[in-house]
Amino acid sequence: MTVSSFLDPQVLARIDNLELLARTVVDGFINGLHRSPYLGLSVDFAEHRPYMPGDDIRKIDWRVFGRTDRYYVKQFEADTNANFLVVLDISRSMDFSSGGLSKLDYARYLAACLSYFSRQQRDRVGLATIAEDIVDYVPPSAKHLDIVLHAIDRIEPAAQGNLSVPLLKVAEAIKRRSIVAIISDLYDEPENVARSASVLENKGNDVIVFQVLDKAELEFPFDEPAQFEDLESGERIPVVPERQREAYRELIDGHIADLSHLLVERRIDYYLFDTSQPLDYALFSYLSRREKLSRVR
Amino acid sequence: MGFSFLAPVFLLGLAAIAIPIWIHLTHRERRDAVRFPSLMFLREVPFKTVRRQRIRHWLLFALRVAAVLLLVAAFARPLLERSDGSAAAFVQARELVVLLDRSHSMAYADNWDRAVEAARWALGNLGADDRATLVTFAEDAEAASQPSGDPAVLLAALDGVELGTETTRYGPALQLAREIIERSDRPRGEALLISDMQQVGWDPANASRLPGRTRLRLVDVGRGEAFNVAITGMNIARGRRGGREEIVVSAVLANFGGRPVADLSASLEIEGERVASREVDLDAGSTFAVTFEPHPLPGRPVRGIVRAGDDALPLDNSFQFVVAPEPPVRILIVEPRGAGADYALYLERALAISRRPAFEVQTERVTSLTESDLDDRSVVVLNDAPPPGGAVGARLREFVEEGGGLLVVLGRRAPPGGWPEDLIDLVPGDFGGPVDRAAEGGGTLGYLDYDHPALEIFNTPRSGDFSTARFYRYRRFQPAEDGRVLARFDDGAEAMVEGSYGEGRVLVLTSGTENFWNDLTIQPVFLPLIHQLVKHLSGYREATTWHRVGGVVDLSAKAELTAGVSSLDELELVIENPRGRERVLRPARDSWYLNLELPGFYHVRQVGDEDRAVWLAANLDPSESDLSRVDVQELAGALVAPEEADAGVAEARALSAEEQEGRQSLWWYLLAAACAILLIETVLSNRARRLAPGT
Repeated sequence: MTVSSFLDPQVLARIDNLELLARTVVDGFINGLHRSPYLGLSVDFAEHRPYMPGDDIRKIDWRVFGRTDRYYVKQFEADTNANFLVVLDISRSMDFSSGGLSKLDYARYLAACLSYFSRQQRDRVGLATIAEDIVDYVPPSAKHLDIVLHAIDRIEPAAQGNLSVPLLKVAEAIKRRSIVAIISDLYDEPENVARSASVLENKGNDVIVFQVLDKAELEFPFDEPAQFEDLESGERIPVVPERQREAYRELIDGHIADLSHLLVERRIDYYLFDTSQPLDYALFSYLSRREKLSRVR
Repeated sequence: MGFSFLAPVFLLGLAAIAIPIWIHLTHRERRDAVRFPSLMFLREVPFKTVRRQRIRHWLLFALRVAAVLLLVAAFARPLLERSDGSAAAFVQARELVVLLDRSHSMAYADNWDRAVEAARWALGNLGADDRATLVTFAEDAEAASQPSGDPAVLLAALDGVELGTETTRYGPALQLAREIIERSDRPRGEALLISDMQQVGWDPANASRLPGRTRLRLVDVGRGEAFNVAITGMNIARGRRGGREEIVVSAVLANFGGRPVADLSASLEIEGERVASREVDLDAGSTFAVTFEPHPLPGRPVRGIVRAGDDALPLDNSFQFVVAPEPPVRILIVEPRGAGADYALYLERALAISRRPAFEVQTERVTSLTESDLDDRSVVVLNDAPPPGGAVGARLREFVEEGGGLLVVLGRRAPPGGWPEDLIDLVPGDFGGPVDRAAEGGGTLGYLDYDHPALEIFNTPRSGDFSTARFYRYRRFQPAEDGRVLARFDDGAEAMVEGSYGEGRVLVLTSGTENFWNDLTIQPVFLPLIHQLVKHLSGYREATTWHRVGGVVDLSAKAELTAGVSSLDELELVIENPRGRERVLRPARDSWYLNLELPGFYHVRQVGDEDRAVWLAANLDPSESDLSRVDVQELAGALVAPEEADAGVAEARALSAEEQEGRQSLWWYLLAAACAILLIETVLSNRARRLAPGT
């Protein structure tokens, strides 16, 4: 059992310092998975290839030459120095909790952990908080981890959300090929979400979409008939949960299925988290994507 | 072992189960709106209102229903009915007599409730072949039910028994129990005496033992240290101030408890208004007479109450009375012609002293007497004077015939020849010349009829010494056949003779009152004697200010009620008792005697005439206020064989102290279980509410 297995989001919520929180998650995660094939980047040996004219003769492996009487050159894993940008949805709908962490808090921890971990990989980290527009933007930089964490720390829920406009602006702001992690509850039509994410993907960025939902949004466990109020618009409608639960579940399941289908179709990774899940799962998802990009020959 | 319920009416509370069912079926809309991230999907789901719902939260529902069930069961007081252990004593068929004390003292605290519970238990737990009789007793005993083996019949009889206001007497109850057991064909007899074991009801001299093989069980519902303050008596003195009658009320307060009472408030209320109060200290086991300030009496009867104390036996903390103004007895003294100024001195002085009744005396010479002088008189005294003749004489005859009193004093100035022929028949006998005993130092009274109402008060020792009076001369008197001799001289001659004429009375003294023929007038006994004779002749009766509960009042003798009717057969009365219940008394059907069963005021009036009415006050017998307890061992020992008595007492204690409580104590556990369930329900309910999303 790894240490990270015990990092319940509720427990993490008691850590005030965001950097300490991120380090706790990431270090524990690394220690628990030290045999992971995704580690050992940078100067690790990768493979041999035949010597070609123009290659640096210092890279010739003389031991192999001694055994085979042929010239082979050593191939090493190189430093990536990739850009890593977290796009965090801070619309009012994210400020929902059915008893544990709110979605926004969960997203903040997730963003902090991803940023911290990326910095450990020597990536340049940046942050964009979005609602109807871009609320805050920290461009990716090797020195911006502290600023990113500070920006995450002082996030307040904004007004209504809208992915299309801010993502388009983010795509325009990114100058280098980047890994873009979008963290949102994705309350938009799946086609809109996929289209907006595609803008980033089409510009050569590697896009990962983390959809964060509360368990109550997935299961709709309400009992008593009540007026339900939309967190963003303030609109109210009467709801009899007992009679409407099944239909709701079908709709949200369909929504998730559509999102997954449309995003994967556009070679965009999509992951769904409910706020009761440990952050490790998000890190796994991120690392699997990061590994693909880090192999630079 | 089975169950029954002491208060089955509470089982109606089972209907309260509908409340949790309704709550769990009804989906009450929350007052607060549920804040939800987005209504994007909910808008697309059609809204449906639903009337019939299924029950939600089964665990909470079950807990709530269980709590209601347990609470209802606890309030219904479940009773364990065992057929083992102590009930083994009931295996053999027996004749059970339950003697239930319903005297007034049982009203102390919850004694009566406990007694009824004990009786209910005994009657409800009969063996298969047992037979029981419910006997209630206070001053007298009566069977409230016929002997029966059916508990339902017996318990129904028990439900009809009410607490009484009479005193306690064990004798009649035990005698009745003895008769029932003796008549029974059951092999065993058993008497269950349920009482507060008041000492006052126990008279060992009149105790009769119960038949052999009879077990006596005593259920003592009394309190170990009963505390009771009571008003045990009252006196009303009358006087006059400024021509107006006033009363001085004195009440006797008794502390029957074992501890002193300080600053006990005693108050006097007249017609519902508090007119006087006093603070008194009462030592333990002592009495104190508290006298209130004089209170003027209006010209009509008034109701009064003296109150003192506030304890667990409240009825004896008040004492009711009705006091009416008392007109003076008007007396006319007729002197003979030629009498000196002080001829009637001794009579006048003696009659001037009395307060109750007050005497109003007028003295006239027989020669100046007119008819109007006899108006409104109660008594006429012919003080050594012959009766007037003519119209005045006729008026005198009429006066006596209509109920007036006539005192005839035969002295030296009243020769037989002085009486007119038409009035001589007023005198109950024939009188003649004087007997002179001066030579022998005078005669004395040798006989007095102490049974006569006028002389009754002299019967007890030191109540009047007639032996010192010397009679030197007196007239011979031959009484008529209907004449009653009240006193004789030592030689057998008549000294005092009474007769009747029409409705009135005539009394003859055969010696004078002017201190010449005798010295009776200067003896101390003269004054009370004259008072008694005049009161008797006037028909005066001291007004009764209050009666004892259990007493009887002859309503036909009340002049206020019979006024205006020519015959009692026409009279119809309405009686309102102290509890406000009215009943009509009719001559053809009812007795004119009113039995005073309750303490308080009775109002009796003619039907349709509010003005012709009387108030009657009834008070409890003060002996019942003494809650001293009899030694139960002594009581049992006097009634049954020692082995039955010992066993009986022990068993009785076990019944009252352990079994009775033990078999009823199940409700405690039910109540505790209900509380525990409600506690769990509260925790779960709060938790469910806290965990509910959107809260």
